[in-house]
Parts: sequence; C-alpha cells; structure tokens
Amino acid sequence: MTNESTLLAATRSEWIKFRTVRSSIMGVAVTVLLTIGLGVLITTLVRTHWSQLSPLRIATFDPVSSSLRGSLFAQFAVGVIGTLLITSEYTSGSIRTTLTAVPNRFRLIAGKCIVLFATMLILGEFVCFAAFLIGQRIYLGVVPTASLTNGAVLRSVVLAGLYLALLALFAFALGLILRQSAAAISVFVSVLLIVPIIGLFFPQNWQNDFMRFEPSTLGVSMQSPFAPSNSFGAWSATLILLAYVAGTMAIAVVLFLRRDAGSNQ
Amino acid sequence: MIKIDHLTKRYSDTLAVDDLDFEVKPGVVTGFLGPNGSGKSTTMRIILGLDHATKGQATVNGTRYAELKDPMREVGALLDAKAVHPGRTARNHLRALATSNQIKTSRVDEVLEFVGISAVANKNVGTYSLGMSQRLGIAGALLGDPGCLLFDEPVNGLDPEGIRWIREFFRTLANEGRTVFVSSHLMSEMAVSADEIIVIGRGRFITSGSVNDLTKNAEGTVLVRASDHDKLAEIVTAHHGVVHNTNDEGLTIAGLSSDEVGQLSFDAGITVFELTPQRASLEEVFMDLTAGAIEYGAQKMDSAHD
Repeated sequence: MTNESTLLAATRSEWIKFRTVRSSIMGVAVTVLLTIGLGVLITTLVRTHWSQLSPLRIATFDPVSSSLRGSLFAQFAVGVIGTLLITSEYTSGSIRTTLTAVPNRFRLIAGKCIVLFATMLILGEFVCFAAFLIGQRIYLGVVPTASLTNGAVLRSVVLAGLYLALLALFAFALGLILRQSAAAISVFVSVLLIVPIIGLFFPQNWQNDFMRFEPSTLGVSMQSPFAPSNSFGAWSATLILLAYVAGTMAIAVVLFLRRDAGSNQ
Repeated sequence: MIKIDHLTKRYSDTLAVDDLDFEVKPGVVTGFLGPNGSGKSTTMRIILGLDHATKGQATVNGTRYAELKDPMREVGALLDAKAVHPGRTARNHLRALATSNQIKTSRVDEVLEFVGISAVANKNVGTYSLGMSQRLGIAGALLGDPGCLLFDEPVNGLDPEGIRWIREFFRTLANEGRTVFVSSHLMSEMAVSADEIIVIGRGRFITSGSVNDLTKNAEGTVLVRASDHDKLAEIVTAHHGVVHNTNDEGLTIAGLSSDEVGQLSFDAGITVFELTPQRASLEEVFMDLTAGAIEYGAQKMDSAHD
C-alpha cells in the first residue's frame, strides 16, 4: 500500500515537471501540427491529383494509412519529448535533486514512464483520429474513403497512436542510456532514418528481410488495414516494436540502477 | 544523526574516499572541512544515495537514504544550487519536489517566504543569480521540515548579508535539535559557523573535534621583545625552546610557554618589554593538518586562502 502511494506521488511529481517546461509543450504542439497538418496536405494532394494516378496506384490505394502519414514525421517530435524527459535532467544536473526526492530509482523511472506513455498515448490517439477523420472528409466524393466501423480501419488508427507512444518510450530509454540530449536524439533519428538507407545497400532478398524489422516499417504496418508487401501484419509489428522498447528499456534501467548519479558522467 | 561507516569510494582509478568513519550528531553544527577534491562532495553524494559506496555505508537515523520512505521529511540537502531545470519556475520546481514526498503544497509558499525569494518565485530558475539559486536550494532542503540537513559549500556565491543570514540559520537549525552537516574548504568560514569540525584530506580522515580543541592541540608560539635578543635566544635554545624568527620586532619562540619565557628572562636579568602568547590561527592549523593531502594545490602554499 505504501509502495503504491509513493509510486503515485512520484508519478504526480513527474506530471508537474512534465507540464511545467516549455520543451514538452512545444513538442506536443509540433506533434499536433505535423500529424494533422501534413495529413491535410497529403490527403489534399491525393484528392487534387486523383484523376492523374495510374490504375495500379488507384487499385492499391489505402485511404487509411495515407491519411495517417503525418504521424511518421511526428514520430521525431515525440522522440524528442521522450529523450528530453530524462536527458534534460542530466544536462541541467537536476537528476541529483530528483533522486534526492525519489531515491528509489526504479520508482522514479516508473513514474516518468507512466507520465510519458499516458500523455503520448492520449496525444497520439488524438492526433491520429483527428488526422484520419479530417483526411476522410477531404477524400469524400473524389477518393474512396474508409470508415471506423470497419474493424481493420479502427485498429489501424488506434495502433498509429500507440506507435507514437511506444516510440516516445524508446527515445526515453535511449536518453537514459546515453544521458546526453544530442547523442540520444542522434541515435534515435539514425535508427529511424539512417538504418533504412543502409538497408538499401543490401542485396534485394536481404533487404526485404531486413527492412521489415525496421521501426518505421513496423509503424507503417501498424497503421495499415492490410499488411503492405514484405512487411509484418499489424499485430506482429506491434509485438516486435514492443520487444524493442522493452529490451532497450531493460538495458537502460539496469544501467541506471548501477550507475552513480552524482558526477555528471 | 548521520553515521559514516568505513566508507570507501573508488572511481575507476582514483580513491575518492578512503575508509571514512565518523558520526554527525544532532544539536550542533558540524563542519566538514577539507581542501578542494578531498572527497567531501563524494561523501555527501553517497550519504544521499546518489553515488554507490565501493565499501562500507552511510546511514541517516540508522537507515540507508535510498530506503527512506519520504526522504525529504527526514533529510534536506543542498548539494549543487544550479542542479535545477533552468526552464522551470522556482514555485513549480518546489511543487514537484513537495508532491513527490507527499508534502502539502502550502509548504512551498512558506519556504519561499522564509528564504526571501517569493517575489521571483514565478520566474524561470535559469534567470537566477547563484545567490538566488542557493536560496532556492535551501528552500528545497527545508520543504519536508527534516531533522537532518546537509549543505555542500553553502556560502559560495552568497553576498556578505547572505553569508551572515546563513550562519544564523545554521545556528537556529542546530538549536532546534537538528543535525546540521556543512562542508567547506574554508577554515575561516567553519571557525565562525561550526561547533564541531571533521577534517579530511585526500579522502582520508585527519582529525575531528571542536574548534577550540583543534587550535589547542596546535603548537602555539610566544612573541618576546626584550632588552637583549641574542642572549635570550641563547638561553631559550638551551632550555629546548626553538627560536623561529629574530628581528627588531622581537623573537618568536616555540616549545616554551610565555610563563617559562618570562621566568627565563627574569632569571637572566633581561628586561622584557613585551610578551605575547600567540595561538596558531585556524588557517595555520588547517594547513598543517592537510599539508600533503592537497590534491590540486599550488606548489607553494604560502597563502591559506582557497
């Protein structure tokens, strides 16, 4: 009982900390802007060019994932939020003050993760549902639309939001391991952008095997009602991403428990 | 009460704390004195569970810090005043701290008022001077009304008025029966603000005791101005005294008390104009104690400051 109440206290404290710095507010604003704004831009472009598209493109067109594409840009904003939640504590030195208030390190990380995951899940679901609904509205009358009454469509939108929340946790774990904002954000961006480019140099058959394990490819799978070619299905992709997050977080927590927090490095 | 129990801390290749073993008692201000880099901050970080001990342990009221339930209600600490997120206001910073230890938020305004930064409480901490940050750090330490307080180099960055304020503040805390543990590299500061002093150098315990004890044990000297300095020097040397210094001002004699020097002069028929016992200054005692224990000292330490 006491453990529960102190985890609650640690979580509430982290919530105050999260909403009282500008970087969180900015990150949330950028996530909204990218997901919904780019969603509007992409769906509008599709609508205006619909008559010029090839029959193949039209036959394979997916109104769901195309309206959610903005979230694949917003993942970087979410990643920065997750990273800064912990690296800002190290760059400012406030990790020492934080740990004197909550010396149980496991509890501290649990509190931070609860705040991060909850806020990013709500944010992710909000922006993805908004982008989807606005996108379908823009498609209406010209481009085929999808409806949330379809189970696969609903799943795609829900998992697109979850994808953002999981990436925030992944970025947080990287931040906890590296303890430096620039380093952690670089690694995060590399994993999402550079690794797929490296994959392009592999032979074609390797490429197909390799690329589907890549986080943003998993993200595309999660937000598609039908599995794209050479990709996992939505649920398998979700489980693999969960495994990445859990694995990285486990390493991060073990390091955090063992390391000294007093001196900066 | 803080108990340091055969504490050792090794960073990859340096021994920062070497088998320290002492207690810090409630009701007095205990100074923790040592040159820069002597292991004071490391010891304090280990007490607070920030760094892990290599050997031994530190406990507060019999419990390791990491196992305290609401630690801020038992221990208040100010290690590094700038260890605060610069983009958060002082009030929000304190509110987050209070919430984590289930301290009611009305306490935030009380401590802000007490340290005198209420007027700037809604400004980002990044805009604060070092002195204001120190006050914010003290406010944070006091949030939980703890019985035990730790301050690492608290007077750094304070103006003279702030320094006087903080000395009285330590005194008040100790008089209320709290344990007050204050580190400094300045002996002169400890001499006026501490009752008990623990001296360390290169991570090792050197000595402890009250300010008076420390200077009493140190060798004092006697300054004499007399009618015949050469003759007096001869007699003093014959009686196992040591003449340190001869000039027109007089002789500085070690190893004999002023009574003995006076008697010897009288017996030899030398007129004494001035006879002054000189106690070793605290700075001198400190320099003697920590000589050879200064990790990052200048080669020739003829100034006792810094």
